[in-house]
Amino acid sequence: MATITLPPELPRIDVHSLVKRYHRHPVLNQLSLTINSGDFCLLVGDNGAGKTTLLRILAGLVRPSQGAATLCGADALSNPLVRREIGYVGHQPMVYQDLSAYENLLHSARLYQLENSEERISQALQALGLAAQQHQPVRALSRGLLQRLSLARATLHQPSILLFDEPYTSLDQEAAGFLDRSLQNWHRPERIILLAAHRPQRLLSLASHVAWLKDGRIDAHIPVSALAGSPELNNYLREVT
Amino acid sequence: MLKKPAALVVLDLLSLTLVPVAMLIIIVYTPVEVVMGPVQKVFYFHISAAWAGMVCFILGAVGGAGYLLTRRIRWDWLSSAAIEVGLVFSIITIFSGMIWARPIWNTWWVWDPRLTTTAIMTLIYLAYFILRAGVSTPEAQARLGAVFAILAALTVPLTFFSIRLFRTIHPVVIAPADGAGGAFSMSPRMLNTLLISLLVFTVLLVDLVWRRVRLAQFEFEMTREVE
Amino acid sequence: MKAIGAYLGVVWQILRKDIRVEWRGRQGLPVMLMFALMIVFLFNFALQLAPDVQAGLTSGLLWVSLAFASTLGLNRSISLERENNALDGLLLAPVDRSAIFFGKTLGNFCFTTLVGLLLLPVFSLFYGQNLIRAPLLLVMLLGLAAYTSLGTLLSALSIQARTRDVLLPVLLYPLALPILIAAVEASRGVLAEQPLAEMSSWIYLLLAGTLIFNAAGLLFFETILEE
Repeated sequence: MATITLPPELPRIDVHSLVKRYHRHPVLNQLSLTINSGDFCLLVGDNGAGKTTLLRILAGLVRPSQGAATLCGADALSNPLVRREIGYVGHQPMVYQDLSAYENLLHSARLYQLENSEERISQALQALGLAAQQHQPVRALSRGLLQRLSLARATLHQPSILLFDEPYTSLDQEAAGFLDRSLQNWHRPERIILLAAHRPQRLLSLASHVAWLKDGRIDAHIPVSALAGSPELNNYLREVT
Repeated sequence: MLKKPAALVVLDLLSLTLVPVAMLIIIVYTPVEVVMGPVQKVFYFHISAAWAGMVCFILGAVGGAGYLLTRRIRWDWLSSAAIEVGLVFSIITIFSGMIWARPIWNTWWVWDPRLTTTAIMTLIYLAYFILRAGVSTPEAQARLGAVFAILAALTVPLTFFSIRLFRTIHPVVIAPADGAGGAFSMSPRMLNTLLISLLVFTVLLVDLVWRRVRLAQFEFEMTREVE
Repeated sequence: MKAIGAYLGVVWQILRKDIRVEWRGRQGLPVMLMFALMIVFLFNFALQLAPDVQAGLTSGLLWVSLAFASTLGLNRSISLERENNALDGLLLAPVDRSAIFFGKTLGNFCFTTLVGLLLLPVFSLFYGQNLIRAPLLLVMLLGLAAYTSLGTLLSALSIQARTRDVLLPVLLYPLALPILIAAVEASRGVLAEQPLAEMSSWIYLLLAGTLIFNAAGLLFFETILEE
C-alpha cells in the first residue's frame, strides 16, 4: 500500500501580491490568485508574460522578490515537505541522457523516498506507453516519448498539485491526444492542475477555469462555463490559437 | 540628483587635506631609517594601504551577508563598492611594496607572507568582478557576488597562515641585509607616523566607499527614470 | 529521524546516480587521468630538471596535476545537471537542498580520489620513489576533501554565468591556494620520511578547510541555485 499521505486539508494555491524582478521592470507585478481543489486551470498569456516564472515560483524553483505564493499553506521554496505534493513539468524533461527511462524513474522514486518503487515505476511506464523502451538510454527516445517520460517523472509520487508549463510544445497529433487523455485521468476533486498553454482553445473542453496573465498580474480568472460573459478574454483565446 | 549629505562633504574635505598633510609629515617629521634610507618611507602608505584593503575585504563580506539576509539592493551596493575600492588599495599595496623592495633587496618582488597574501587577494577581487560580469541579471550579480565575497573572506585567514607557515619552512633565498625580511625597529616618531597614516587611510577608505555607493545609487535611479 | 533518513537517502542517491552515469558513459575518469599524465609530461619537458631535483618536486607536481584534473571533473559533474535541466529535478526533491551539495561533493571527491590513487603508482614509477604509503593516502584524502567541497560550491556558482567552464578555474584557484600549499607541504613531509606529528599544522589547516567549505556548502548551496 502506498504510504504517501495527502495533506490534512485539500490542496489549495494561494498567491498574494507576488512580485518578481529580474531586471528593473518586474515580470510579475502584484499578482494575486487563488486556485481551489478540483480546479483544472489554464494559464494563458503572451510569450514572456510571466507564465513560466509564476509556475517556477509555485514549484519552489524561483524566489519571489516580494509577496508570497503558498501551496497547501506553505511555500515550496522554504518548506521541503510541501514539494512532496508538487508535480512539475517544465520546458525541459529533467532526465539524464545516459540512463534509461527506467533508471531515471528509479532515481526520481528514490529522491521522493517512495515505497514499492518497482511496482509504481512499471505501472507508470505501462500507463504512459513506455514499457517497450524502458531500458534504452534516454538519448534514443523521440520528443513525444521524452515528454511522456517527463509526465511519468512528475506524477510518480502521486502529487496533489500538478504544474505544467506548455506541455504540448512540439508534440505530434498522437502524443497530444495521449496527453489530453492523461490530463482527463488526473483531473480529480482532490487535485489541482495548473497548465500554462500557448494554444489554449482546444483545451477548453478539458479545463474548468481560465486565468489570464497580462502585464504581470491576473487580469481575469473565471470558470470556463462563464467565458461567454467575458468577450475580451474570449477574443484573446480565439486570436492566440 | 541626490544632494550630498553634510557628513560626506566633511569627509571629502578631510581626505583632501589629510593625505597631503600625512605626506608632509612623512617627509619632514619622520626620521630617515638607518639601514634602508629614504625609500623606507614608502612603508607608511604601504602598510596603510594594506590595512585599508583588508578592511574593504571584510566590508565586502559584511555587505554580502547583509544582502543575503535582507535581499535589499543597498547591501549589494556596499559590497561591490567596498571590493572595488579594496582592489585599488591592494594594487597600491603591491606597487608600493615593489617600490620599497627594489632599492633595498635589488628585486622587484619578495615572497613576504603579507605581500603574497595581498597579491592573492587582488586576484580574488578581480575574480569577483569577472563573476559579476558573466552573470546576466542584477539580482544574480548581487546574490552570487555576496556568496563569493563571504567565501573569499573566510579563506583569507587560511591563506595568510598557510603562506606564513610556508615561509618559516622555506626562508626566501634573496635575504635582505638585516636578515628579518624587512623588519626594523621603530622609533616613537615612526610609530606616530604609522598611526597617523593608518588613520588617514581609514578616512580615505570611508570617503571612497561612500562615494562609490552613491554612484551605484545614482545608476539605479537613472535606469528607473529611463523606463 | 525520518527526515534525516530522507536527507541521507537523497545524498546517497545523487552519489549513486553520478557513479552510474559515469559508468555508462565512461568519459569523465579516463579524460581526467589522461590530463593529469599530460601535465606530468609537460612539466617534465618544460622544466628539464636534473633527476635529483625532480624527486624533490614530486609532491608539488602531484598536487598540481590533481588540481587541474579535478577541475575537469568538477565542470563535468555540474554540466551533467544542466543538460535537460536535470538539476530542477534535484531541486524539486522534498529535502533540504544542501543534500544536493553533499551528494555532488561526494561524487567529485570519489572521482578525484580515484584519479589520485591511479597517479600514485605512476609517479612512483617516474620518480623512483614509493608514493604508495598510508600517511600520503591520508594527506591525499584530506586535501581532496577540502578541495572538492570548495570546488563543488564554486562550480555551482560558475554554472550560473555565461562564461561557465572558464570561470571555475578563475574562482577556484585563488581560494584553494591555502589548501594546495598545505597538501603539498604535508605530502613533501611524508615523502621525506618525517613523522606525521611534524606536519600537524598542515593537517590542521586541511581539516579547517574541509570544515569551513562544507559548512559553507550547507549554508549557501541553495542560495546559489535559486533564481
